[in-house]
Amino acid sequence: MDPFAPPGVTWTPVSPRLATARRLVLVVVLALAALPALGVALLAGSGWPLLGLLPVVGVGAWLWWLIARQVRAWGYSESEDDLLIRKGVMFRSMVVVPYGRMQYVDVQAGPLDRKLGIAKVQLHTASASTDAVIPGLPPEEAARLRDRLARRGEARLAGL
Amino acid sequence: MSEATWHRLHPVTPVVRSWKVIAVLLVIYLQQQGDELFAGGGLPGRTELLVSVGVLVVGTLVGVAYSALSWRMTRYQVDDEAVHLHSGVLFRQQRQARLDRLQAVDVVQPLLARLLGLAELRLEVAGGAGSDVKLAYLKEADAQRLRNTLLARAAGVRYDTEEAPEAPEREVLTVPVERLLASLVRSGTTVGLVVVVLGLAVALGGFRQFAVLPALAPAAIALVAAYWTRFSREFNFRVAVSPDGVRLRHGLLEQRAQTVPPGRVQALRISQPLLWRRPDWWRVQINVAGYGGGGAGEGAGTENVLLPVGPRQDAVAVLSLVLPDLGAADAVTTIDDGLSGMAGERGWVVAPRRSRWVDWVSWRRNGYLVTDTALLVRRGRLWRQLDVVPHERTQSLGLAQGPLQRRLELASVVAHSTPGPVSPSVAHLDAEVALRLLLEQAERARRARRAAGPERWMEVPQGGEA
Repeated sequence: MDPFAPPGVTWTPVSPRLATARRLVLVVVLALAALPALGVALLAGSGWPLLGLLPVVGVGAWLWWLIARQVRAWGYSESEDDLLIRKGVMFRSMVVVPYGRMQYVDVQAGPLDRKLGIAKVQLHTASASTDAVIPGLPPEEAARLRDRLARRGEARLAGL
Repeated sequence: MSEATWHRLHPVTPVVRSWKVIAVLLVIYLQQQGDELFAGGGLPGRTELLVSVGVLVVGTLVGVAYSALSWRMTRYQVDDEAVHLHSGVLFRQQRQARLDRLQAVDVVQPLLARLLGLAELRLEVAGGAGSDVKLAYLKEADAQRLRNTLLARAAGVRYDTEEAPEAPEREVLTVPVERLLASLVRSGTTVGLVVVVLGLAVALGGFRQFAVLPALAPAAIALVAAYWTRFSREFNFRVAVSPDGVRLRHGLLEQRAQTVPPGRVQALRISQPLLWRRPDWWRVQINVAGYGGGGAGEGAGTENVLLPVGPRQDAVAVLSLVLPDLGAADAVTTIDDGLSGMAGERGWVVAPRRSRWVDWVSWRRNGYLVTDTALLVRRGRLWRQLDVVPHERTQSLGLAQGPLQRRLELASVVAHSTPGPVSPSVAHLDAEVALRLLLEQAERARRARRAAGPERWMEVPQGGEA
């Protein structure tokens, strides 16, 4: 039985553009990691040091594949009274945030995110351990979600 | 009533505050002199001494002058809704704390302030670290009076007299010094000490490595400091109860009187280190939204202690102070099961047998119990723990599953609470049970919140208001 599929809950996936964004970052990091080997190869004038790149390429390929799975695993669902977010492939987690418990909502987008047309929505409760982040939402959807959450939070407002 | 008037802090405040400046300067000076002495520089000459004394005096004067200026700029005002505090010399700050959001009120008296009959009033509001309003220093009697006023207004009590009456208080228990000392001897620090001493004995006796001795000095100092902090903070611990809430008084040099109003405790933990098992002693800690806790800063962690060390009945007694209704038919048995029970009995849902592969020591203990008012979570076989979270205080809930747990069809449930020492989580439940707990607990929390009392705990609900 899969505990991450509660009955009667339909999950909204996040945008596949999130995978693109993460892969771009991955490529840049890998390129930086490959630089020393390339430098050595150039200096030595031989191709052998490039063999040192094999593990880098291997790890890169694995992460490339993992990113796709992670992005596919990420999902959220707005139920009557709470917001559900699930994520993770190997270490899976799901969080239930009651609308009335929300203290504030953040919408963030870095330069790369803006270029690709995605944004991140983060919910904050009075607890610091609430890990409720939805990355990779189209900006309009992120804004709509933020407003919807704020409205629902107000309607069900509770103290601490 | 003198509602709108602005008050100043006590005029001696600058002097009391700047003693820290003097102390820091002195320490720096002595340290340098000490270094020089060690380096063979000999005692300082006369001019040198004069210069140092001059620097000390000027530094002190600057410190006092700045504090005096800052005192002049600081004003506070209390009205029906909030406390306003204006402060700052260069960077002005105006802070307003709403009384219906008041989480706790502490009266803190450092040694020097106590000698001068002064006290600091700290109002905790739930805004994370550094969100408290500190009024330092006031006359002790004024601080007490102001505390009563604030608590009465925060509670929504109407009174006809000029001053709020002091709420009647009933002492519940005290922690004798002998027990505190014995508990320190039986603490984890001692285990560390024994290990270090054994290691030392081997190093010195077996290998004649005397060079390790100076390297151990910092560790020795840290050990002594650990004992001392715990002892001085938890010295003379007294728990009392009043309509204002729970009163905690403690401290050797710096004395604290905390008041935690009803319904402000977000979560509670009763724990027992291994060496406390023989005398059956327990420690009770709480999460209160304003206190934060666990982090750095003065007094971190002390504010969160509801009972530093006490026998089982004391732990049960303080639990019933902050959570008068546990929602169970037989509260004492329920707590007993939570503290030392094994396996599923009387409604406790425990981790399945296959979870021993991930937690072979305490899989039998890991479990939870849901009562009408709270979620009880127990774990740990060597270091026993029982966490209690009132349903209406659950912030959010989480479900987590690692690769190993997935193979075994297990999952852990976490109840997120405000920052503090208590972080309740039910480890390694059967996956299906875990999901059910998650969803049902969310529903229970929702219902409990709807039925929860008002923020102003003594206010008579008025008709017509939403």
